Amino acid sequence: MTPGVIEAHGIGGQADLPISLGLAISGAVAALVVSFTVLVVAWRTPRYATGLEAATDPGSGEVVESPHRRPTPVTFGLVALRLVGMIGFLYAAFTAVFGQNQLTNPFFGVVYVWLWVGVMFASLLFGPVYRAISPVRTINAALARISGGDPELGVRDYPVRLGYWPAAVGLYAFVWMELVDKTPTDLGTVRLWCAIYVAVMLIGGAVFGSRFYEHADPFEVFSSLVGSLSVLGRDPEGRFIFRSPLAGVAQIPSKPGLVGVVAVLFGSTAFDSFRESTFWIGRIQAASITGFTINNFGLLAFVLTAGLIFALGSMCAGIALHADRRPWRWVRLEPLAHPRSELPRRLAHSIVPIVAAYVIAHYLTLFIDVGTQTLARASDPLGKGWDILGTASLQPTYWFSYHPSLLATIKVGAVVVGHVAAAVVAHDRAIALLPRRHQITGQLPLLAAMVAFTAGGLYLLFSA
Amino acid sequence: MRATTARWIALAVITGAGLTACSTDDGGKKDTGGSDEKPVVVDITFKDGDVTPSGDRVDVSPGQPIDLKVTADEPGEIHVHSDPEHEFEYDAGTTDLPEFQIDRPGIVVVESHTLDKVIVQLEVK
Repeated sequence: MTPGVIEAHGIGGQADLPISLGLAISGAVAALVVSFTVLVVAWRTPRYATGLEAATDPGSGEVVESPHRRPTPVTFGLVALRLVGMIGFLYAAFTAVFGQNQLTNPFFGVVYVWLWVGVMFASLLFGPVYRAISPVRTINAALARISGGDPELGVRDYPVRLGYWPAAVGLYAFVWMELVDKTPTDLGTVRLWCAIYVAVMLIGGAVFGSRFYEHADPFEVFSSLVGSLSVLGRDPEGRFIFRSPLAGVAQIPSKPGLVGVVAVLFGSTAFDSFRESTFWIGRIQAASITGFTINNFGLLAFVLTAGLIFALGSMCAGIALHADRRPWRWVRLEPLAHPRSELPRRLAHSIVPIVAAYVIAHYLTLFIDVGTQTLARASDPLGKGWDILGTASLQPTYWFSYHPSLLATIKVGAVVVGHVAAAVVAHDRAIALLPRRHQITGQLPLLAAMVAFTAGGLYLLFSA
Repeated sequence: MRATTARWIALAVITGAGLTACSTDDGGKKDTGGSDEKPVVVDITFKDGDVTPSGDRVDVSPGQPIDLKVTADEPGEIHVHSDPEHEFEYDAGTTDLPEFQIDRPGIVVVESHTLDKVIVQLEVK
């Protein structure tokens, strides 16, 4: 076999060392302590958006759950960003069609590292980056202009009930290709995936207008969720402002499917760690059924478990415990202002900081090292010895590999900070949703779910 | 309200500092790297489409020589996913593969491409 061809475990050669047990335990303990500190000392009236404010549609004046956003004014910066996205898109398409079916083809790095990880890191810093560079939005706008229509409007309204569910499905399809598919670094596989993505996005945009992308584009939804943690925000007039990341997270609209999206994101990253563990490899190789079947099951189980733990934790919010002589009165459901079944999605935004932290912990070195490697490979897209970008001789320094303690500390630090943010945001929303006298005890099940996620994430960083 | 925010930031900082203090692993330990170290020997057996060991972790230090000793019933190929990668072919019978070393700390997977299975994960630290 020629060097750099298909590997069974996808992109990126050498993996990080696991974090030490001591660090994992101190991280988990810190998360636990912080959670309860938040409960006891934090404020008692909501400080951030509660998602319950009445919003009116600027067109009809009717009260709607998620108002149409004021269209962003066309600026030079916006056009430049669109151009960057479009050039990247055309370049990726070029390498996908004319490049070699080898890992040295930059296409894999562009999709798995620049897009999937790099855009998310950029969003964390600057806000919803993918929305700004989205090539499918650009193409949709261009098509609308040619046909004389309005890119914002399609032939039909986007069904409110669908919410983020299409994005959850799209994200699952992507992580499935990355983690379960037998040939995640085969050119044909990734090219096919991308072709289907572009086709679905263009059809969706034509039918429902560009609101479709806000809900159904897996990359845009991921990027916008992570981007809510950026300190850069926009005020209602569309001007840039500095804001608290916590305030940003609280503005994530609590639409249907939000739980699905965060479950896919958290569950899949966790499964990515888990499948590298000796436990899983040993099991999978000793089993009589194929690894493909087991991985399929594993990914699904991780995603469903994440979703169910969270849904259960938040549905149980507002269950009151009473000291009573009669045991059947110990547990009582508190009446809420909103249907109990809405609780998971009204609280799901609080998992976003945990997801973002875990993405940082899991992908930081991949982004730096393989990201650099991809830049070198991008200079020679067809494997003909070109150096069109002048970056062909770039070599990753693997700096973090030689500083494993620092790397481990950054990872655990990110996870703990993410957990603190999640606990604060969840607390802020819970006091808006729960009846006053059970605001504190009512949060315990949700807090337990969060501690489970953080401890689970740390355990995976330790064991894999 | 401002004071509360400040308190949160302080709490996060203290937690972070505490974590850093707790991490006691191989901080500034520089490896001398050298072939004077005793090689790590991994015995690998291929039999009836199966391989032992199956996904175990093996500790090695950076620069330490690694010897893979293969006993196989059929010829095949072994792939070491380090940077740069190593590929070895072996025949039926017993083969001592060429010695190699890994200089960069991390986890390196040693795979059988014939069976599409992980043999060992080298934990370089």
